[in-house]
Amino acid sequence: MRYILCVTHCMGHGMPIGPDIIEALRLELRRGTLILAVLGTLRSEKYGYTLKAELGEAGVDIDEGALYPMLRRLETQGLLTSEWREDAKRQKRFYRLSADGAAALDQLTAEWRRMNGALDSILTRSSPKEGGQ
Amino acid sequence: MTDLLQRYLAAVERRLPEKTAKDIVAELGDVLSAKVEAREAELGRAASADEVAAVLKAFGHPVIVASRYSGSDHVIGPGYYPWFWHVQRIAVGLAIAISFGVVAIRALGSEAPFDAAFKGFDAAIEVALVTFGVVTALFIAAERTKLDMKWAEKWDPRSLPRDNVRQPKTLFESAFTLVFDIVFLLFWVRVVQFPNELPMRDGASAALTFSPAWEAVYWPVLLLAAGVTAVHIADIVHPAWSRVRSVVAIGGHLAGLAILWVLYQSQPLIIVTPVSGADPVEMERVMRTVDSVVNVSIGVAALIWVIAIGVEVRRLWRTSRTPATPSQVMV
Repeated sequence: MRYILCVTHCMGHGMPIGPDIIEALRLELRRGTLILAVLGTLRSEKYGYTLKAELGEAGVDIDEGALYPMLRRLETQGLLTSEWREDAKRQKRFYRLSADGAAALDQLTAEWRRMNGALDSILTRSSPKEGGQ
Repeated sequence: MTDLLQRYLAAVERRLPEKTAKDIVAELGDVLSAKVEAREAELGRAASADEVAAVLKAFGHPVIVASRYSGSDHVIGPGYYPWFWHVQRIAVGLAIAISFGVVAIRALGSEAPFDAAFKGFDAAIEVALVTFGVVTALFIAAERTKLDMKWAEKWDPRSLPRDNVRQPKTLFESAFTLVFDIVFLLFWVRVVQFPNELPMRDGASAALTFSPAWEAVYWPVLLLAAGVTAVHIADIVHPAWSRVRSVVAIGGHLAGLAILWVLYQSQPLIIVTPVSGADPVEMERVMRTVDSVVNVSIGVAALIWVIAIGVEVRRLWRTSRTPATPSQVMV
């Protein structure tokens, strides 16, 4: 991130880029990875609150306003299954990965690892420049 | 569940698809109840209405919360958006050119041109807005139905125009010239007529009319004007230069020069006739002035067209040094 900041700063005639641009880039970067994190966490059954808590413990913060619609969308796509069940004297909706979801998760995980390796290689190569800026 | 929470959930439910609304609201009710209970556990007492309201406000406005379940956060998606603006540019450009052309004609033919123009502008702007709305609606329908866009892949880089030869015309330039083209065409076929009375000294006046010399060039002028209008319409759709455009322009300018030559040899071109109380000496002066204006106009038009021919020949010569594919010539 510091490298992006520095390059943009130098190319932008000395004008530092605004925090809103960084925030937009950060959100764009996170968007696809959140689905992978949710699918990965739902290998075992969870309801919304525990899912959010587990993601948070792993370092993946997700807004509830985005989480619940995402769960519904993934279920519509056949990647998740859900059922209403009573827990702690309250009806809760429990989600887990479907068979199709598990297959999709395997494919996405392979793609993620491939991209992560490629990006890591690129960023490692570019790191000496970071020091030189 | 508090009254405030029920009202909040009802507001979300109203904005959800009927089929899934109950299910979504039940889940949201559980989530929000858990949040209120967590807040109460922090406080060690029941939450007040203000505290419940704060929890709901932090969760989001019902419109926003419901919209997240719609499955679509755009009206026209990235696949259609570039084409949306491309088509809007052409459609609204033509609508403006045609509607303002009609307004200009009506205003010029009216006894109160300024009033007619102001009234007509409203209608012309309305036409442009309706065109924008119709194109937008069509693209929204395309987005919703996921209309096949494979036709957009059928293009050939070799058919791209040589923009470096001449700056593409702006939409304003093309629309502006098109208005004049339409006005002239309608004038030439006598659909509209302009006042031809020339005021003179002491309240006298004279009428200016075309001489019979113009009958010989009526059809050539009409064809040339129609051709120029067609080229200006093509400029809106495809504003960049092409070899065919250049050749057509040279042909048009040569035809214009031929017409000017015929007219130059057939003078007088304008007949001045007294309308009321014109002094013969004054009439003679007006006729000489009109003749001079006609001759100067013919000379200026001829000079402009000769220069324009030179410019187009130079463009063709420059581009001929780089071989073009047949598709470039076809543009």
